[in-house]
Amino acid sequence: MSGSRLHRSFQSLVLALLGLFLLNKLWNGTVLWYINARFLPLTVIGAFGLLWLAQVRLANLRSTGDAKQAHDESPPSTWGLLILSLPILLGLLIPPAPLGASAVANKGFAAVAPARAGGSPAQLEILPTDRTVLDWVRVLNYAADPEAYLGEPADVIGFVYHDPRLAAGEFLLARFTLTCCVADAAAIGMIVRWPTAAELPTNSWVRVQGPVQLGDLEGRRIPLVEAQSVEAVPPPDQPYIYN
Amino acid sequence: MVPRQADPANITLDVMARRVMSSGLPRFVLGLAFGLAFMLWLAGPRAASLGDSLSAFSTVFLGIFIEAAPFLLLGTLASGLVEVFVSPDLLRRWIPSGALGGALAGAALGFLFPVCECGTVPLARRLFRKGLPVSVGVAFLLAAPVVNPIVLASTAAAFGFGSLLVWRFALTIVIAIVTGLIFSVETRPQRLLRPSAMLILQGGSQALASAWPRRTWAQDLNRALTVAGDEFFEMGRYLVLGSGLAAAMQTFIPQSRLLELGSGPLLSVLVMIGLAVILSVCSTVDSFVALAFLGTFTPGSVLAFLVYGPMVDLKSILMFRQVFKRRGLLYLILIPLALTTAVAVSMNLFLAP
Repeated sequence: MSGSRLHRSFQSLVLALLGLFLLNKLWNGTVLWYINARFLPLTVIGAFGLLWLAQVRLANLRSTGDAKQAHDESPPSTWGLLILSLPILLGLLIPPAPLGASAVANKGFAAVAPARAGGSPAQLEILPTDRTVLDWVRVLNYAADPEAYLGEPADVIGFVYHDPRLAAGEFLLARFTLTCCVADAAAIGMIVRWPTAAELPTNSWVRVQGPVQLGDLEGRRIPLVEAQSVEAVPPPDQPYIYN
Repeated sequence: MVPRQADPANITLDVMARRVMSSGLPRFVLGLAFGLAFMLWLAGPRAASLGDSLSAFSTVFLGIFIEAAPFLLLGTLASGLVEVFVSPDLLRRWIPSGALGGALAGAALGFLFPVCECGTVPLARRLFRKGLPVSVGVAFLLAAPVVNPIVLASTAAAFGFGSLLVWRFALTIVIAIVTGLIFSVETRPQRLLRPSAMLILQGGSQALASAWPRRTWAQDLNRALTVAGDEFFEMGRYLVLGSGLAAAMQTFIPQSRLLELGSGPLLSVLVMIGLAVILSVCSTVDSFVALAFLGTFTPGSVLAFLVYGPMVDLKSILMFRQVFKRRGLLYLILIPLALTTAVAVSMNLFLAP
């Protein structure tokens, strides 16, 4: 068996593994930790496309001898193989996790929520308890009369982020918004006033209920919840809010 | 340029090692390591614990990769199909030979091949090998990621059919054509392109044709898919390295440091261009990312983000390296940079309210 044949079998293997890697992420739902759900059809196509390429490569290996392989333009590159195995290796070695508190610390907080196309006011007209963290941030940013919404009851979930700029007895209820993939994720959130805030572990998911007031984080307007209840909840399947 | 393809069966480990050493990759990996160390130093005490950072890095890296992989696959498939079904003669008949006409045609090709920047590079290299003039290919490379129906739709969804959309498309086409024209001054493509991206000699292509006699559809398809697979490995490694670099920058450099910089007419433009290069977001969706900056950044800088980002970013630079020699690569990065900056800054100075 020549080096070239061996090389091509490995290429076939890496293509197949990449395809299976994507399928696995699709199957167990963790693909939503990485990209916006509207790209899922593309990911499915990509996964099966990779498997198809792998299959063609393998079939060619079986049916043809080395004579024909010699005519391919690309010289075998071990680097290509190694580097394209990196996503699989990283995916296996580092336990997968959605973006959380440590990413908030680095990306910083976007007090101004990314505006939706046109910033449709109709979106603000849903039941207050149906609003997400993003909706509340938008209410304060884009509603013609934000004050009108103050005092309305919130019922939101998010993860706990202890921002050093907050007073004692407060924490940030944070979410990431996503447009395309986690590369463009932006952290948004609401301040929650809760006497035992310090006891809540960072990065744990909670459901917060209570009336919404106007908060202030270094001079920027941000919604604040006078929490009446804070309960632990399991992390949602879809950790990000799409916009 | 052809003898480079020695029979792979004869390649010993030694030859392979020498080839790897001369490919510039080790230098690049070393650079990457230094870059990472520098970033860790920049992040300093603010860096969260290493475990958390690694986890965030892995998530962002896989995010970019999973998002971009299907697009890369589509591009390599297009490249494979071009290899099998488009003959150099056909190309010569379609593409006008004049510099301006050629550059225009290159920009227009984008509408024919709606692939984003991960897909245009393999396709352009394939077209170069079929004898596409460098100026046309350059115009195509720069214009295609933006000038296509998908990006038109996503830009319209984010900003509406307004002035920003018109500016984005007009400026992209102008820059692509101007850069293409500048490239057409150099009449010896071997000074700009790597040998692997050059027109295969007549004899060579005939030898190829006889090695793969065209018989059935199934064989053509098989050939196209084999080429696509080769291409996936050649271009894919640059996508992986580029995603890794972009993810590392995002994970280890606080974004606030970048954003603090941006409100002056010139500085904001440079910051947004830098951000576009680092984020390496796909051109099909970058409008939505840009939207987040529209309030805080100058209009010119948002335009620069939308125009320069699809042309040049970390992952496309790494992929360009497979096609262009250093001189060509520099032109390809700097000419659009200068043009974009000039227009965006003038917009801030003279047009902004």
